[in-house]
Amino acid sequence: MRIKKGLTGLIVGALMLGLLAGCVGKNETNGGDNGGGAAEGKVKLTMWGAVPPENGPQEVVDTWNAEHPDIQVEYVRFVNDDDGNLKLDTALSTGQNVDLYVNYTLTNLDKRIKGGTALDLGEFTDYNIDEKMGEDAASWKVDGKYYGMPTKKNAAFFALNMKALDQAGLSVPTAWTWDEAREYALKLKTAGFKYGLVQHTASYVDPLDSVLVKNGYVKADGTSNLDDPLVTKWLETLNGMMKEDATTPPLGEQLTSKMPVENMFLAGESAMINIGEWLIRTSNNMTEFPRDWKIAFAPVPRLAAQEADMVKSGGLGDFIAINSKSKNKEAAWEFLKWYADGGMMPMAAGGRLPSSNAVDQQTAIDHLLGDYADSYDKESLEFVLYGDETPTFVRSIAQEVVDLRAQEYEKFFLGNQTAEVTVQNMVKRHNDWLKQNQ
Amino acid sequence: MHKSWMKRQSRLGYLFIGPNMIGVLLFFIIPAVYSFYLMFTDYKFMSPETNFVGLDNIRRMLNDDLFGVALRNTFVFLLAVPVSMGLAFIVAVALNKSVYWQKTLRALYFMPYITSGVAIAFVWMLLFQPTSGPINGFLRGIGITNPPGWLSTTEWSMYAIDIIWIWFMLGYNMIIYLAALQEIPEELVEAARIDGARPWQTIRQVIWPLVSPTTFLLLITGLIMTIKNFGIIQAITQGGPGNSTTVLSLFIYQNAFRYYEMGYAAAISWALFAIIMVFTVLQWLGQKRWVHY
Repeated sequence: MRIKKGLTGLIVGALMLGLLAGCVGKNETNGGDNGGGAAEGKVKLTMWGAVPPENGPQEVVDTWNAEHPDIQVEYVRFVNDDDGNLKLDTALSTGQNVDLYVNYTLTNLDKRIKGGTALDLGEFTDYNIDEKMGEDAASWKVDGKYYGMPTKKNAAFFALNMKALDQAGLSVPTAWTWDEAREYALKLKTAGFKYGLVQHTASYVDPLDSVLVKNGYVKADGTSNLDDPLVTKWLETLNGMMKEDATTPPLGEQLTSKMPVENMFLAGESAMINIGEWLIRTSNNMTEFPRDWKIAFAPVPRLAAQEADMVKSGGLGDFIAINSKSKNKEAAWEFLKWYADGGMMPMAAGGRLPSSNAVDQQTAIDHLLGDYADSYDKESLEFVLYGDETPTFVRSIAQEVVDLRAQEYEKFFLGNQTAEVTVQNMVKRHNDWLKQNQ
Repeated sequence: MHKSWMKRQSRLGYLFIGPNMIGVLLFFIIPAVYSFYLMFTDYKFMSPETNFVGLDNIRRMLNDDLFGVALRNTFVFLLAVPVSMGLAFIVAVALNKSVYWQKTLRALYFMPYITSGVAIAFVWMLLFQPTSGPINGFLRGIGITNPPGWLSTTEWSMYAIDIIWIWFMLGYNMIIYLAALQEIPEELVEAARIDGARPWQTIRQVIWPLVSPTTFLLLITGLIMTIKNFGIIQAITQGGPGNSTTVLSLFIYQNAFRYYEMGYAAAISWALFAIIMVFTVLQWLGQKRWVHY
């Protein structure tokens, strides 16, 4: 009896202690927040992003802070992987200091909107996102509303070794199919390259999403559309390139060695690379990756026969949301507008081209290429960045679907199952998932 | 008089264990109870509403092909434990005698255990590289024309992880065995020698039974440690290629922190707990047959 009583007391005591600790913690943070602001009339904003501070963000906030003594911005970096996003989500849902944060995928944004941590920007009327950012911005709308602002122009493209192309008598394509790209790779391999094409594993699936955005991830009857014939076409094309032509590295090899594909392209081991604007960050580093040839650019090839059927990966990125629990929404909005309309320019050198039309294209490209503009084929670069009129998409499917697809096609490329079984498995698992998330 | 002394004594006792008890309560017992509750809900992190769904998560788990795959991979992973212990015992017996470089060798064997997991992952990925890695280079050198693809194939990847894990655990197991071997009275080994026992007979019939409590300890802790571990797999393969190295603990991690499916992850966690429990109880019951105190 005595023991029981003691134990109850202990448990109650422990709970009280826990509660007290919680309260104290809360008061402290609140005090820090308001106290500083009230005392000096200053607003302090915290912005979370995944770009390392030294690659631009620090310069951005330093510039802003110098111009705006009343609104000081602090940049906090999170790593854009599962752990990093979890950290941000925890900070958001427990009310830690996050005023602005950058979303890199629609999937993550969607969770944050449902969690009630993204402010509907419709309440601000002095900036028209559609007008400033163009048509591509709309793919970031959720239920017809903007819960943030897309600030960066995404660009997915093939970068080509122009010297090799010239020697092989190949032209720089402005629209092409995967069959044509496969021929290019073969010709370039015979011209003396180890590989015709290399790509990041993240870019592998872009052709699939191109097809499925156009034809629908789900059929009219609500079942999976992963058995679209073009899915099989993609599997077989890439598999042929790995095994018959040996023009692209086998997947197993690439996965286990974490193949540094950019370095391989710049070192002249591969003639083409499927990549995006961030390539420039590495290719401008002439001390580590010296080269005596120009880089040309081509759009990513399409699986569909008709050019009109192409939707390409790209659109806009770096979707910055304002935390709906932020105490300084107005100040955050001021900063966001400034950031999008050119404040972000120091980040262009790292490949982040501003998407706002308030920013001059030429200035952006100058920032992007820096001192090495001569080592790029400017005409084809301008075409893939601004000239190509192909509609774009931003991948919006759930992480589970991305993963289940990857697990099945990895087994195919490793030779564990046929293309037919792969497609069957993808469809089955996708259907299961659809049922689960009805 | 006596009674109040007892009272004071027990109050003092609680005071001493208090700080620790609070920690245990806040960070182990409450979360565990809470996760048991979560198992019956569709709680998704960041999602606004949570509903009670009864046994849905458990039903889902039993129908999930991936759960089966993860379960099988977990059992393959567990094979590493007895293998690592066997090797550790051999090494410990060898290093217990006076051999050259005894201290250096002991330190070397222990090294993996105190090395960072990420560093281990990178080094082994290089070693296992299928075409240019030193392991396959060696295998080709001794005449194996078609060495396995290790981490790059679904058939071999789990065994490759096993090899890394055996290597990792070896040093720890060896140190514990060494400690046990030092405890063995010299007279017993002496007596066996006088009776004409050959070295391997001495090891099998004298030394091995005498260290059986250590073997039992290492087996239980080893199995629990292995079944719970996911860091090394997350660092090396993230469960791939395909899903060939997705073990249960990694499966829980993915569901909870990649897909935010907390309810489902809680259900799998309790399944994992049940498996560990069964293992431990079975060993506890079986120990009478082979553990000699």
